Amino acid sequence: MGNLKLTSVTKSFGALTVLHDIDLTIDNGKFVVFVGPSGCGKSTLLRIIAGLEDISGGGIEIGGRDVVHLSPAERKIAMVFQSYALYPHMSVRKNLAFGLENLKFKRSEIDARIAEAARMLALEPYLDRKPRQLSGGQRQRVAIGRSIVRNPDIFLFDEPLSNLDAALRVQTRAEITRLHRQLKTTMIYVTHDQVEAMTMADEIVVLNGGRIEQVGTPLELFDKPRNLFVAGFLGSPRMNILKGKVVAVGETGVTVDVGYGVPLQARIDPAAVAAGQAVLLGIRPAHFAVGGEGLPFVVQYHESLGTETYVYGTFEGSEEQVIVHQAGHFAPERGALLRIMPQPGRMHVFDPDSGLALPRAIEERSAAHEHA
Amino acid sequence: MSTPKSTDLGGRALDFVMGIVEAPINGFERLMGRKRMPYLFLAPNLVLFGIFTFLPIAIAVGYAFTGGTGLFVSDRPFVGFDNFRQLLQCEDYLRPGSCRESLFWTAIWNTLWFVGFNVVATLLVALVTALILNRAIAARGFFRAMFFYPVLLSPVVIGLIWKWFLDRNGLLNAFLQMLGVPPEIFLLDVGWSRFFVVVVSVWFHMGFYTLILLAGLQAIPKDLYEAAAIDAASPRRTLFRITLPLLGPNLLVVLILLMIRSVQIFDEAWVLTNGGGPGTANSFIVQYIYQMAFGSDLRLFGLASAASVLMGLVLLALTLIQLRLGRKMES
Repeated sequence: MGNLKLTSVTKSFGALTVLHDIDLTIDNGKFVVFVGPSGCGKSTLLRIIAGLEDISGGGIEIGGRDVVHLSPAERKIAMVFQSYALYPHMSVRKNLAFGLENLKFKRSEIDARIAEAARMLALEPYLDRKPRQLSGGQRQRVAIGRSIVRNPDIFLFDEPLSNLDAALRVQTRAEITRLHRQLKTTMIYVTHDQVEAMTMADEIVVLNGGRIEQVGTPLELFDKPRNLFVAGFLGSPRMNILKGKVVAVGETGVTVDVGYGVPLQARIDPAAVAAGQAVLLGIRPAHFAVGGEGLPFVVQYHESLGTETYVYGTFEGSEEQVIVHQAGHFAPERGALLRIMPQPGRMHVFDPDSGLALPRAIEERSAAHEHA
Repeated sequence: MSTPKSTDLGGRALDFVMGIVEAPINGFERLMGRKRMPYLFLAPNLVLFGIFTFLPIAIAVGYAFTGGTGLFVSDRPFVGFDNFRQLLQCEDYLRPGSCRESLFWTAIWNTLWFVGFNVVATLLVALVTALILNRAIAARGFFRAMFFYPVLLSPVVIGLIWKWFLDRNGLLNAFLQMLGVPPEIFLLDVGWSRFFVVVVSVWFHMGFYTLILLAGLQAIPKDLYEAAAIDAASPRRTLFRITLPLLGPNLLVVLILLMIRSVQIFDEAWVLTNGGGPGTANSFIVQYIYQMAFGSDLRLFGLASAASVLMGLVLLALTLIQLRLGRKMES
């Protein structure tokens, strides 16, 4: 069974600790994405699960079995490497067979598994080619095929798409998702690309500086980031962050002043703040309404992507860049003054000292719960 | 052509040098055209190569067809293939004594035996050493330097050191006596002396081949070993199915170089065995050539050159065969 349990996993290289007390449970059959910036420890964590790195402390269980002292081969995992790591001197067929031969499988069983994997990944025409005679996408499929024939409890993917061009990346992304639906095996996937994380994951684990920042479904993380880091990391272009001050505390929310004479209503738990407290407001580019009353926004330039437009500018008299998203064609002049207003209920409020999100108003939390 | 002015000392020195060479280089460029300029820079080395490599080869081939003892070509009568006939005239090639140039055939058989043992032994020792040094062991740099160190020594020094070590009153006998083993005069025994010529050669040259193999090992991506670990490959299977096949091109280079250099065995063996002794037990082909040409008052340059040409042809053939095998291996 492909469920995974990490308990207080730490990893140090000499005096440098790269993973701090990682606790994580992954249920069987889930597609889990580890995401985070370079150096956050996501690849190290994957390699620890694979058994390619020792841990400095903590425990790892796969399928209820303690695997800390087991070799990679004994853990019933398979891994797809960023570089594919295909054996260059072996044909595709031999690449696929190598692991099974090592495990002393019968020839007929090996042939059957190779045929099945080749059919699943459309590799039949290439079985007798060497890796160097294949394109990047084909090599990628061979690397996945090598994992499939092993019939592992858990698939591990280490940034498998980073060597592919954009079009192929989208296509392979869809193939891996399809494969997951077909095989129903636990997959753990490491990427620094938040689009991959958002589109593929059942559950995302956001890592930063060797710590887990938040675990949740893609939309949970998008809609309810636990802190400034998660808020800033997920979503493209990134969330706008405005400095503000609580000016009034009401029954269902608070009034925040960010200047410009336009008070904003944030639906957070009134008990969590006091009037006069400094806060940070997070507003995603897509959550501004343009026109009517609102904050004075001076246009610098815009990017038209056809179906959508990103407008870059600043609030009048401010230096900090703000990004506003509009659906469809929208071409404001440089220097034009727009009035923009955050959509009610779409504002995130953070404590500037801890960076943590302030608790939402009670009815909103329950509404969100029903929604989920 | 003008170079931007630098302010630091090194940069100023470079500017100064460039200033001096700029004018003549520009002149040459106008004279020869830009496309032919590279040959100008290659010319000095080409001239030296011609004088000290190509010319001697041509002269040797020429001398192989002349006789007498004169030094200059003009003093030497043309004898056609006589020298080759003399070298190859034999009743039974397996019995050097039945050959007209018995010393030549003794040397050939000695050399063949030596090449066989030396190539296998050096290759194995260098490979094992490289495999060990490729692991993350403590003081890896020290060991690498240590194994490479003999390569830097002069062959004569190597021969002398080992001679002292193996002498009747040498270190090895002193050590054996301490253990209660009766002393052995290693260099006067046919078997022992041949054995130690191989040992010395392995010790002398292995560092160089280890370095080539180590470079090859380090070029194998770490990922492949991790993939093999996940693929449940035993250390043995990893060695034979991953490491050695991927080391193939380096092994081939080592094999070719090792074979050529083994055939050329001379200086350290000459010093170690006092000129090929005991008797002719360690008399090798290059030694024969040296002795014919310079070793006595006879100055048989013709015979020596003919032997050189034959050796050169054999080496050429061996190299071509190995290169062809290498290409087949790759495809």
